[in-house]
Amino acid sequence: MSKNLPLSRWSIASRVLAALFGGYALAYGFTAFFSVYLPLVRADRVVFSSLACFAVWTAAVIYVFAARSATRAWLWLVGLTAALCLAAFLPTELGVRP
Amino acid sequence: MSLRQSMAGLHTWGGLLPSWLLYVIIFAGTLACFDKELERWMRPALHQGVASSMTADQVRDWLEANVSDELHAFWMHGPTSREPFWRLGWEVDKTEEMHNVAFDPASQQPMVETLGGGFFFELHYNLHGGTLGMYIVGLAGMFMLVALVSGVIIHRRIFKDFFTLRPNANGQRAWLDAHNLFGVIGFPFHLVLAYTGVAIFVATYMPAGAQVAYNSNVEQFFSDVMGAYNREGVHKPAAQQASLNELVERSRQHWGGAEPGWISVHHPGDEAGVVDIRRFDSSRIAPPLETLSYDDASGTLLNVQNASAGYRAYTWLAGLHMAQFGGTLVRLMYLLLGFAGCAMLVGGLQVWLAKREARGTAGIGLVRALNGGVFVGLPLASLALLWGNRLIPADLTERATAEGWVFVGSWLLLALWAVLRRNQPRSLLSQQLALGAVLALGLPLVNVLTTSHGGLPSSLLRGDWALAGIDLFLLLCGLLCALCAWRCGQPQQAQEPRARRVLVEEAL
Repeated sequence: MSKNLPLSRWSIASRVLAALFGGYALAYGFTAFFSVYLPLVRADRVVFSSLACFAVWTAAVIYVFAARSATRAWLWLVGLTAALCLAAFLPTELGVRP
Repeated sequence: MSLRQSMAGLHTWGGLLPSWLLYVIIFAGTLACFDKELERWMRPALHQGVASSMTADQVRDWLEANVSDELHAFWMHGPTSREPFWRLGWEVDKTEEMHNVAFDPASQQPMVETLGGGFFFELHYNLHGGTLGMYIVGLAGMFMLVALVSGVIIHRRIFKDFFTLRPNANGQRAWLDAHNLFGVIGFPFHLVLAYTGVAIFVATYMPAGAQVAYNSNVEQFFSDVMGAYNREGVHKPAAQQASLNELVERSRQHWGGAEPGWISVHHPGDEAGVVDIRRFDSSRIAPPLETLSYDDASGTLLNVQNASAGYRAYTWLAGLHMAQFGGTLVRLMYLLLGFAGCAMLVGGLQVWLAKREARGTAGIGLVRALNGGVFVGLPLASLALLWGNRLIPADLTERATAEGWVFVGSWLLLALWAVLRRNQPRSLLSQQLALGAVLALGLPLVNVLTTSHGGLPSSLLRGDWALAGIDLFLLLCGLLCALCAWRCGQPQQAQEPRARRVLVEEAL
């Protein structure tokens, strides 16, 4: 059926953790980033990004289990989350504009 | 590994682990579609449908006469067609203590205590576990979203399988057909309900937006988004209080005759007290966001709510989830699709079991015990709760708590039974179904014997379909249980094994 061996226990455990915590972190970074950068008024920025965050988390979980390796999934999640969070939290004045 | 294979693994295990929890949430939420009808069934004082003559001021007078603590807030809701009585709730200042009272329309005194239909509503959104329970339910909702999406990815022949049901095929094939059928029928509904379900508590689950855009000032965030009015108490008693009845009347005029819904008072009796009157309109999917805020002492209008479009969109999504619109037709549809969701979970678990039973994988006993204890145990415990509601004496103190113990105690017993009999699933199920038939068919009878106007004959005579509907539903469930118990008791026919293709879902 499959040419490849089934996933190892480590790979599965790593993916489960990446899906739960990495996925939430990415959704968090996404919400923070879009709450700062969307060209909308403050309330709409926050509501739109927050409501969309569940789709981001779901997509992240799907990706984590579809990815070629667990390490790859972790690298993408951590990298994207770090980039989004840095961009969101560094310019403190931009986020609180009306 | 192909995408479809990795998704099949995700779907199998990510679906299996939370499935019992999801069943509790979906089953309780499905019953909560008719929570108000159920509540009326559980309160014999409301069976005859006497109109309440109480006013908002009388409700407040009762509170002032009976509660001496300083209150953070109190709130009340007048009679509606589904809830023909006044409710009152209050929170004691500087505590998290909440109290609730429902008034008998005839005597204008608190009714006999009961958990009411709200029990299932709370079980649905936080498992009666407060904030922690809310997070657990949210996580289960995310699992459901992931299971739905991965289910679609592995489901190559989604339309073809929709028209495929082979009950006479071997066990696993038939259960997979059933799982697919209920999953496909309910898919749009389940996707929307899972999404809106997690979205309702988005402000708790995902605080990132308020943190970066409002410097974590949550109150400012809420007042900006909801257009709500908020004022801190100053702990100085006010010289006078405005009449709530008069404020209700003024609000009605402000809205051109529309009815008020929730009336809430923050810092009552304080110089900075605020009366909020919300508009009630069950003809909209989202509640109308037109709260009027008055000064509690002078009755001056302080604020007219001006909610942001984002908040209106949010309440529309939440309204879609709560099914307080569209009358009985929509609630019946939500009920049926909710039960389809339960059936999908049961079918999925049976696929898992049927595939592994032949191989004798470890964990089968655990899964069977959980299936028997949750899938059948929860509905039976819910029936036991209704029995408790009718049989616990009306004058018992802490009566609602006693009802809760009937539910918990009977569920524990049923779970223990399922654990002990886990290796004879067929005979366990047939006995559980027989018990279900006795419990469900007995309830309408107990109802006739213990209430003066709530029995099926008198509610049918009055044309009170909301009340009679509960009894009729119980009768239907009882008959179905009896039929299934009888079918289950028949000797199983040996079937020819059939040649079949290996599906991706089965290949793992």
